[in-house]
Amino acid sequence: MINRRILVVDDEAPICEMMRWAFTNAGYEIQIAESAEEALELIKTYKYLVFFLDLNLPGMNGIELCRNIRKNNPLTIAYAVTGYASTFEVFDCREAGFDDYFTKPVEMKTLFQAAEQAFQKLARWRNE
Amino acid sequence: MRVLIAEDDLTSRIMLQAVLSKWGYEVTSASDGEEAWNVLQRSDAPRLVVLDWMMPGMDGITLCRKLRAQDRVDPLYILLLTSKGEPNDIVRGLEAGADDYVAKPYDNEELRARIGTGQRVLELSREVARRQKLQGVLEMAGAVCHELNQPLHVVTGYSEMLLIDLDESDPQAETLRIIKAQVDRIGELTRRIMSITQYRTKDYLGGRHSIVDIEEASSGPVG
Repeated sequence: MINRRILVVDDEAPICEMMRWAFTNAGYEIQIAESAEEALELIKTYKYLVFFLDLNLPGMNGIELCRNIRKNNPLTIAYAVTGYASTFEVFDCREAGFDDYFTKPVEMKTLFQAAEQAFQKLARWRNE
Repeated sequence: MRVLIAEDDLTSRIMLQAVLSKWGYEVTSASDGEEAWNVLQRSDAPRLVVLDWMMPGMDGITLCRKLRAQDRVDPLYILLLTSKGEPNDIVRGLEAGADDYVAKPYDNEELRARIGTGQRVLELSREVARRQKLQGVLEMAGAVCHELNQPLHVVTGYSEMLLIDLDESDPQAETLRIIKAQVDRIGELTRRIMSITQYRTKDYLGGRHSIVDIEEASSGPVG
């Protein structure tokens, strides 16, 4: 049985707290990082299968973070959640390895569906 | 296109007005530099200007310098008409701010070609200004929407989760639904603003101001 641990990375504290409350209420185990660097430290200790990453982060941005995650963890699902939408940004996200792209404000039910689909896909990949 | 001609000699002014009109230009005439200066201070002034060099009072060169010293929203294209054909004189004219010159007595076809060049330059500068405005609008829109979308995401999430927990019959549920609907409407508006592709404005407060027409500038009506 795969873990249902999600890592959310966003530099806006109110967003982090709202996502933590919402995903916890929905039955997921969730951790938060407010920067890419903090996320990479957490990844050294905890195994995450699903990521929700803001793109505009202080220091390393979300695109670069996704590339890092992909390099070492190919069997994971990464979603971009961003406050600005452009065609070029979607191309960059796909090229970096994001599985999907959401523009804020996005309903939590949409993110819950994305998380559930991610865990089902991962279970299938692992033949569970 | 509208043209201003400034020529003190009556015969020359009439002939110039006639050929320019024949070529399709809408001509405004001035008989000296002072009159030309006054015409060019109006908000609806022509941007294509044909100046005689030698005029009583304010001559063409002085007028050129005064016009170039102004900080104008719409730049002018200035063609100097001159009987002074020496290289030094030509340099003086260009350094004073003329964009081109035509030596008198001028050949009509050469004059027509040089005025045509001025028209193309003005149209190009208008297109550049339009694109710069659009770029400015897009950059501002992107920055504002990015910042607005952060708190919107928080409010959307909390109102959505609270609605899940509230009973349908709870009176506060209806209030919360209204709040969420308005927040969703703002979210749709920021999405529309981020899809702006053209610079389109509309009158605001009876034409006293212009604002970006989001519906025209992006695609489809705002919900």
